[in-house]
Amino acid sequence: MELILQSIVNGLIQGGFFALFAVGLVLIFGVMGVVNFAHGELVMVGAYTVWVLHAQNGVPFIPVVMIAIIVVTAIGLLMERFLFRPTCNDPLAGLICSIGILFILQVLATVVGGDGPSKQVPPPYHGTLVLFDFLHVPYQRVFSFFISAAGLGTLWYFLTRTKFGWALRAVAQDREASALQGININRISMIAIGVGAALAGLAGALMAPLANINPHMGHNVIITAFIVTIVGGVGSLSGAVMAAVIYAMFHTFITVYFGGVIATICGLLLMVVVLIIKPTGIMGVKVSE
Amino acid sequence: MKIIIRLRKIIALIILLAGLIVLPHYLEFHYQDLLIFLIVNVLVVASYRIVTLTGEWSLIHAVMMGVGAYTAALLFKNYNAAMWFTLPLAGGAAALTAALLSFPLFRMTQFYFLIGSFAAGEAIRLTWMQFIFPFGGSGGLSGIEPPIIGSIDFMDPIPYYYLALGVVLICLFILYRIENSKIGMTLHAIHWKAPLAESVGVDTWRYRALAFIIGSFFVGIAGALKIHYLGTITPNQFGIGFMVFILIWVIVGGYKTIYGPLIGVVVLTIFDESVRGFGELRPAIYGGVLIISILFLPLGLESIYPKILTWCGIGSNSSDGPPP
Amino acid sequence: MKITRRDFLKKTATGVVLAGVATGLPVNVFANEKTVKIGMNIPMTGDYAPWGLPGLYGCEIIADDINAAGGVKIGNTNYKIEMVSFDHAYDTEKTIQGYKKLVLEDDVKMVMMLGGSTVSSILPWAQRKKMLTTTLLPSDITPKSEYVIATCESHPLYNVTGVEWLAENFPEAKTAVIVTNNDVEWGLQSASTYKAAFEVAGIKVVDVNLHGFDVTDFAPIVSSVLAKKPDIFCMATSFYTTPLMEQLYHQGYKGKIISCTLDYYNEIIAKTSKEFVNGTIFQFPDFDDPALLQEGIHFPDPNGFDAKFRKNHPNDWSAVAWEYPAILLNWIEGAKAAGSVEPTEVLKALKSNKKPNFVFGGGRWWGSELWGLDNAIVGRWPVVVIEDGKARIKEFRSLTDWLDKNNDILKKNMKALGLRTV
Repeated sequence: MELILQSIVNGLIQGGFFALFAVGLVLIFGVMGVVNFAHGELVMVGAYTVWVLHAQNGVPFIPVVMIAIIVVTAIGLLMERFLFRPTCNDPLAGLICSIGILFILQVLATVVGGDGPSKQVPPPYHGTLVLFDFLHVPYQRVFSFFISAAGLGTLWYFLTRTKFGWALRAVAQDREASALQGININRISMIAIGVGAALAGLAGALMAPLANINPHMGHNVIITAFIVTIVGGVGSLSGAVMAAVIYAMFHTFITVYFGGVIATICGLLLMVVVLIIKPTGIMGVKVSE
Repeated sequence: MKIIIRLRKIIALIILLAGLIVLPHYLEFHYQDLLIFLIVNVLVVASYRIVTLTGEWSLIHAVMMGVGAYTAALLFKNYNAAMWFTLPLAGGAAALTAALLSFPLFRMTQFYFLIGSFAAGEAIRLTWMQFIFPFGGSGGLSGIEPPIIGSIDFMDPIPYYYLALGVVLICLFILYRIENSKIGMTLHAIHWKAPLAESVGVDTWRYRALAFIIGSFFVGIAGALKIHYLGTITPNQFGIGFMVFILIWVIVGGYKTIYGPLIGVVVLTIFDESVRGFGELRPAIYGGVLIISILFLPLGLESIYPKILTWCGIGSNSSDGPPP
Repeated sequence: MKITRRDFLKKTATGVVLAGVATGLPVNVFANEKTVKIGMNIPMTGDYAPWGLPGLYGCEIIADDINAAGGVKIGNTNYKIEMVSFDHAYDTEKTIQGYKKLVLEDDVKMVMMLGGSTVSSILPWAQRKKMLTTTLLPSDITPKSEYVIATCESHPLYNVTGVEWLAENFPEAKTAVIVTNNDVEWGLQSASTYKAAFEVAGIKVVDVNLHGFDVTDFAPIVSSVLAKKPDIFCMATSFYTTPLMEQLYHQGYKGKIISCTLDYYNEIIAKTSKEFVNGTIFQFPDFDDPALLQEGIHFPDPNGFDAKFRKNHPNDWSAVAWEYPAILLNWIEGAKAAGSVEPTEVLKALKSNKKPNFVFGGGRWWGSELWGLDNAIVGRWPVVVIEDGKARIKEFRSLTDWLDKNNDILKKNMKALGLRTV
């Protein structure tokens, strides 16, 4: 029983992270039709920013998180302007460009941090919250969870309550019709990738004290993001959030009872099954092809 | 006129072949090794092209190569099977796997197929990792040796190169014939005019699956060919990293004609060797070239060569898109 | 980072000229002055770099010292030592490429390697070229791999010494869990050895969690094994000691912790606390340890080596920093005894010594009982414990005694995890 409760808490916290980066991937794909293979590397850049500024140079954690968001957003905007916009008629070209960026960002990380052992960031918040004598949650994770939730809440407010949010959702649903309505597609694309990249940067910054930081850490991130995106439905943001939590729970429990590799294999099979039974995902809408 | 073109074509082919035969004798030892891997990779991209003919981009091709390679490795380790036997069986195993996977995978198209094929491949690869018996786990299997026939030891690069060259040329010839057969035409038709093809009674599902199975068969052979020379197999050799390279070779080379991917793999391999001195910066240079070629050469390297090729008499009458 | 050939030639050339000028040696000495190349086919980048690169740094220190002292006399020739490295990034294709380059193009006389799938991938080449090759993993030895030797590290065998010490000093610890990565080369070898050692010591293993390399969050794994309420948490040979220790700290674990390595333990202390890490048992000493000054240690000036290493490469010390150098020293002894640098001669000389020098003393050739060939040197090994935030050797323990008594139990546990034994 204690183990089940502890696993639920672990799963929820992990779900928060999954949601942060998966939502960004969904947003970029939904609006621009590009599979951003470098999304994991955006998370990695966020984590590296924290390592360089906070762990190496002692800048306080909260401002560093802000800087990480700004840095990653800037990279995202540059990618949109110089790569995805010129290739917007060919989704495959966008994908390949993002693979190019992936290589470049990995090498940049190697140049900045060296290619030795994984980097470690000492957690800014020490100590552990103990509930009912048996639930252990480190304060760093509590903090990260609430920031993730706040980030997702802000996104929800932005999408449902602001004009840009409405326009963005309209473009995701039907690009041509929105253009006919006078929506500036380029501007909306920039906002979509800006928001997606910002969330990836936030995820990376929050994960930094909890993860092994190395130039290849984006690989696991992108696989997880793919699974979450498919299970949640390619065009659906709320689906992605729900799928992130479901997948995190699924993964956590299988890891606890059967082992880590089995959990990942099951996750991939889950994705294949969803693709076969309901390709649009649990909350998905049909994307125009 | 036609005879002259044909004659030119034959002469060009003979020159190319003669070049390929004498080439290893002018190379240093480790370039000879590289040449063998290059020859194998030529078969990898050529077989990938068959899969992409219908317009679907699969991310499972590298894993299919692994299926062939693991089949050959297991046959050799457990039954000491000869290479002549493992090569076709490796292809067969990959084709069979592809046939089974085609039921779920070809219910999807486009983006979903891309991700679905990736997931299925990754699940297969993790299975190799997880089960130490019989796959050897993350450390893989080793000691898969090439044959010794009489006084010819195929562990030396030059004899093995000729062996690989022979196998690859035969496979390329078959692939070329398939693409220019009725099946190939139908595959083109599905890519460019799927609704039309369906309306005239073409079972698109069956043809897409067929292309996938054929491509997997040949990449399975490529896997066996590589592993018999290398002697060692690990799951990581067939990960998303290698798949990305296949994609890059095909896309930078150009995927409209059968020559594009071949040009891509050859040019990029040479390029990759020439920037070896840059050490850890190498992937970034690769990434940069990739982006530049996508932005400024969207049809691939092949699009700057057709004139030269026409002059040589090679790719003059290869068709773009649907047949007339 | 890498010493290129040209750099080195420049360096040696100046060295030789200076030596000649300074001492006014007769010219004919130069005729007998040669350079012997020792290859290192190791990971210098990527995830495995911490178990390769520091070894190269260590060997450079040893080689520089030897060369500065005028080289080493083998037979009638005075040799300078040149290290030639190739970075294979723990990729089998690159490993084979590098091995061929070192052997066929650079003409090295020995190739030092990390071990695992990289070593098994070059076995046919070692055999065919009769090239002396060393590994840090004795488990790479097969009945047919006569040119592959393991003269320094005794992974995973030495782990039994830590368990023995733990059982003697903390008899109240009765249950253990093992959490480690599921690779054949390190994780499983080590996990099976720990299981055997626990079995011999009468400690019950209540859970074994073998995870893959794609774990991003260790919270669920640690929660699941801690639910078994173990007295001992064993990490075997893990690539993830830092995140595991962090989770143990956060989930309030209070029992004993034992591990094979604890590389970069300062980072673990920074992420948890000194009090928490104190008492952790592992197998790899820092070389500034005064215990290394006692009789029977075959390593010249360990404390000075440690200081020099940390001065040149402040953040790079790892378990392998002194291991490749120790192998280099073994080779020099072998070459001196053989009077030749030729690989087959050196190997014969090394193998014919029934009491070979082992870095921590008490060495003898071993291996046929478990892997089919006596190509590993085993001897005493240190048990290291963190005290006041610093690694300290508690005791040197004989490995051979344990192996003589308990080889069958070890074999049984290895077979149970699907590992190759005779």
